[in-house]
Amino acid sequence: MMEESTRGAEMAVSSTPPFGGSTAALRILIVDDHDILRRGLKEILNAKPGWEVCAEAKTGKEAVALAEKLKPQIVVMDISMPDLNGLEAARRIHRALPKTGILFLTMHFSDQLVREVIECGARGYILKSDADRDLVAAVDCIANRRTFFTSRASEMLLGGQAFLGISVSEPKLPLRSRLTSREREIVQLLAEGKSSKEVAAALGISVKTAETHRANIMRKLEIHSVSELVRYAIKNQIIEA
Amino acid sequence: MPRVLIVDDHAFVRRGVQNIVDSFPDWELCGEASNGGDGVRMIEELRPDVVLMDVSMPGMDGIEATRAVRKGNSRIKIILITLHESVELLRSGFRAGANGYLLKADAEEELINALRIVIGDGCYISPKFDPQVVAQVLKEIQPASAKQPIGQISHRNDAEGP
Repeated sequence: MMEESTRGAEMAVSSTPPFGGSTAALRILIVDDHDILRRGLKEILNAKPGWEVCAEAKTGKEAVALAEKLKPQIVVMDISMPDLNGLEAARRIHRALPKTGILFLTMHFSDQLVREVIECGARGYILKSDADRDLVAAVDCIANRRTFFTSRASEMLLGGQAFLGISVSEPKLPLRSRLTSREREIVQLLAEGKSSKEVAAALGISVKTAETHRANIMRKLEIHSVSELVRYAIKNQIIEA
Repeated sequence: MPRVLIVDDHAFVRRGVQNIVDSFPDWELCGEASNGGDGVRMIEELRPDVVLMDVSMPGMDGIEATRAVRKGNSRIKIILITLHESVELLRSGFRAGANGYLLKADAEEELINALRIVIGDGCYISPKFDPQVVAQVLKEIQPASAKQPIGQISHRNDAEGP
């Protein structure tokens, strides 16, 4: 952490970005459950003059709390994490801090994913395997209020597919969006193999409440078994395959 | 000064490993590759002492790459790095000739430990595995020497705990 405080001393105190903003550091929050990945991310991002990793989070929940506290300009976040997943964390961060640019790191590309990423308020994603090439460019774009998707996603967007009919501010409501925020959280826990009792303990709610949520979820999604739930969770990037 | 080479398709992992190795002056990162094919070629050219080999890479994966390296050389140590705590993968990895199995989740804490163990001719296996399961797998692979690998013993006898 020594490097960060030195950099902080050189720039203006960066708790709130000053007007103009061109001399203040670009403050970035990084989120990944693997320590070694965060280390590497920090190396790459801190090396850019004017950029500063202001904090790191290991889980989606920590990410939301730190973002609300520190108000970074950029959040670079792994999409798949235990407990609260990246998409849900992004939705919450975006609601609290609509100006913060969120960039996802993912293992896979899919059309579905591009949709989800935009609908939750993030401004882009890059594949972890393309990080060399794409990370700096992506953060740059997003810092300048543009979006950045891996080149494969861009082809899809420019191809004028039906997807473009969804406006970012009023997303259409596919079935899964009718799940509440809490319900989405529970889908992840159930898909990770937790019982209703364990879900209740994890969230600090009663077992009866957890079971009610579970029943509502199954009904809304029109599924009847945990294995269908797991498949749904994988398909919607709530857990990693 | 033992020389390490990293083969992993994720730049963050390569950068993270470099950062850790840089902070230990008795180790040197001599090269990096982002896929199995390049990795095998680079290993042949640079002859590192230890290779950190990611298992899941597109094209030639880490297990195939391990086999390819073993064909040419029996002395280079290879530590597989993977997301998955899988006994099957452990088995295939050691059958292919790996000397170690490190989980990405532990990689930051365990990296130097793993490097030291394999360079000392031991095998390193992530402490997350049940030692009895590990002993079983190793017995299957090297029935002649059913000795415990140094990696597991050092964890169990470690006064400070894992």
